[in-house]
Amino acid sequence: MNQTFKKLAVGSAVALLAASSLTAILPVTAKAASKPTKVTVWHAMNGNYNDAFQDEVKAFNASQKKYRVVATGQGDYTTLNQKVMAAAKSKTLPVVSQATYTQVPDYAKQGIVQNLDKQIKGKDGWSKKDLKNIYPGFLEQTKYDGHYYAMPFSASVRVMLYNKTILDKYNLEVPKTWDDIQKMAPTLAADGIATVGFDKSYDMEWDGLVHSTGNQIVDKKGHVKADSKDAVQAADMLNGMLDKGYAMTAGSDMYGTNNFVNGKTALSFSSSAGVSATKKAVPDDFDWGTAVVPEYQGKRATPFAGNNLVLTSQANKKEAAGAFAFMKFLTSDKQTAKWAEKTGYLPITKKAANSKQYNQYLKDNPLATAGADSLQYGFSDAAFPGYQEYRNNLTATVDKMITKHTPAKEALKTLNQQTEKTIKDNK
Amino acid sequence: MMNNHKPTLKESLKGWLYVLPLLLIIGVFNLYPIVSSFAMSFFTEYNFFTNEVGALGLNNFTTIFSDPTFHDALENTLIFVVGVVPVEVILSLLIATLLNQIKWLSNLFRTIYFLPFVTSVVAISMVWRWIYNKDAGLLNVLLGWIGINPIDWLNDPHYALLALIILAIWKGLGFNIMLFLVALNNVDQRIYDAAHLDGAKPLQQWWHITVPMISPMTFLVTVNAVIASFKVFDEVYALYGGQPGPAGSAMTLVYYLYRAFYEQNKYGQAAATGVVLFILILLVTLVQMWFSKKHVHY
Repeated sequence: MNQTFKKLAVGSAVALLAASSLTAILPVTAKAASKPTKVTVWHAMNGNYNDAFQDEVKAFNASQKKYRVVATGQGDYTTLNQKVMAAAKSKTLPVVSQATYTQVPDYAKQGIVQNLDKQIKGKDGWSKKDLKNIYPGFLEQTKYDGHYYAMPFSASVRVMLYNKTILDKYNLEVPKTWDDIQKMAPTLAADGIATVGFDKSYDMEWDGLVHSTGNQIVDKKGHVKADSKDAVQAADMLNGMLDKGYAMTAGSDMYGTNNFVNGKTALSFSSSAGVSATKKAVPDDFDWGTAVVPEYQGKRATPFAGNNLVLTSQANKKEAAGAFAFMKFLTSDKQTAKWAEKTGYLPITKKAANSKQYNQYLKDNPLATAGADSLQYGFSDAAFPGYQEYRNNLTATVDKMITKHTPAKEALKTLNQQTEKTIKDNK
Repeated sequence: MMNNHKPTLKESLKGWLYVLPLLLIIGVFNLYPIVSSFAMSFFTEYNFFTNEVGALGLNNFTTIFSDPTFHDALENTLIFVVGVVPVEVILSLLIATLLNQIKWLSNLFRTIYFLPFVTSVVAISMVWRWIYNKDAGLLNVLLGWIGINPIDWLNDPHYALLALIILAIWKGLGFNIMLFLVALNNVDQRIYDAAHLDGAKPLQQWWHITVPMISPMTFLVTVNAVIASFKVFDEVYALYGGQPGPAGSAMTLVYYLYRAFYEQNKYGQAAATGVVLFILILLVTLVQMWFSKKHVHY
């Protein structure tokens, strides 16, 4: 027994040694054969999204021999951000990382990312025509302080879901304006159905309403108008609907999907990227559809969300070139359309959105059309250093109005002061 | 074997050699971070990533002390500690005493009570999210039986902290019961026999013998519970889905620290919050030690 154990121990030790010396030799021999530059990519895509992303990586690696992209998922966006920060500190950043566009100014300010101006304006870069091909709302997301810092990648927009069964039962049409919603709400409320369902917070919808009136909560120059007359009026309308039972928030469910699927709400506002999640959650006989968000005061505006790709400051020249080649590949008309079909995100370029291939996909997947139709109404918030702090304050403000019934005027005035301070502190 | 002679230099060196590995680990993973976070709390102009310090001062402290959210965090944390610790200690002592009385199925009950301790906080919080659910939650159904209207535990700012306290008490019980059981078993049976002969009733025995005899354990459990409660974070994060409760009503000091560090890039303020927390825990523990000198019988 003891003998066998000894033999085993010695044997495994030898095997370990051999293995480690082998691995020490291997990279050298591999390098000698061919040496594509390795481009490491960190992302926050999981499940189906991860599979689709790995397909993109495989396609890129097969398309050329100069670079080899290695992509690793890091969990969700929060975890990804934490890992990027830790890696920035320990100088072990990947070449490329995914990042929400609102995070980019902070990254830029702290020197975690480098700008892409050289690559974009370089000879392998983008022509004016290329730039025009990208939807301006997405292009806007990539800029900070007049420089390009990111490449648009996985983009989504807020859309409206509707429960056909409920609408048919009460002989109602899919509402085109917020006035329509106000008109249909009392009927449904009488039967305990909230017409509108929000996620935990209605801040995205409020943002859209404010934009419809031609205002911005924070503009590109950093002027804050969170408590403008129009902004207060829009919040008052939403709060009023919640009070009257015309609308409900998801609360601890976080997303409005549950309420919508359970027939507690007739309409629900959701990210276009969340449509596939809803599809999975609904029973087979559930009859529902998607539509662009309703008009408010004669206009329609809906916020984009986006997770872009950034080039980190620790990438060398060769890696940076490889990173840009990969980004360019992803934003090409063909790939962005493919990516949109596989994930439900939106195509980044106009040509991709108008391509035969993508339109065929929309025909086969009518639920995806609302997202595509919203492209023309989409806008992006101005991102600025300290945006995350602003967003924390914004959700807390909405929370206060929903749960503590703080009047919109008062709550938004505080938000305005907080945001002005945030922008000043982060200058 | 006891050594009474003065250790020689060689012996001392040998001794230090034995503790060196652990000392290194503690130094690298505990002492160094503590010292550097203390230092960081005084960096007012600081690039976290290049380690460049532009200016030093007390600004981080003045900033957080003038931040209403910090006041809320401080207040909530204190309420949480006061709400959790006494109930948790008393309840676990009572349950341990009862468990100690029964022989039948006692192991089964011990296992059941211990389960929360070995389950991950995130899993526990998921379960409690269902228990607290307004429409279908177990708690509201139970309250309904005694005629209390459904409470929106997770979305009503008035109840968020209470929901958190209940969860924390429940989660802490198992381990404390275990500790109390050990202490109860160590009380000399002869003292009880003597008391019995003198005609002391069970309740009198419990109050005059059990409680004083296990006071060192009570002290340990209390200190532990106080420290753990001051540091509450996981439960908030998991129970409220990455938010500090509805309208920030469950914002705690560590959550404030987390948010300053990871979401708002205010590294100095995060470190300053850590220092404030450290001093708070230190003060409370010192008071407990002083109190224990008078009331704990070793």
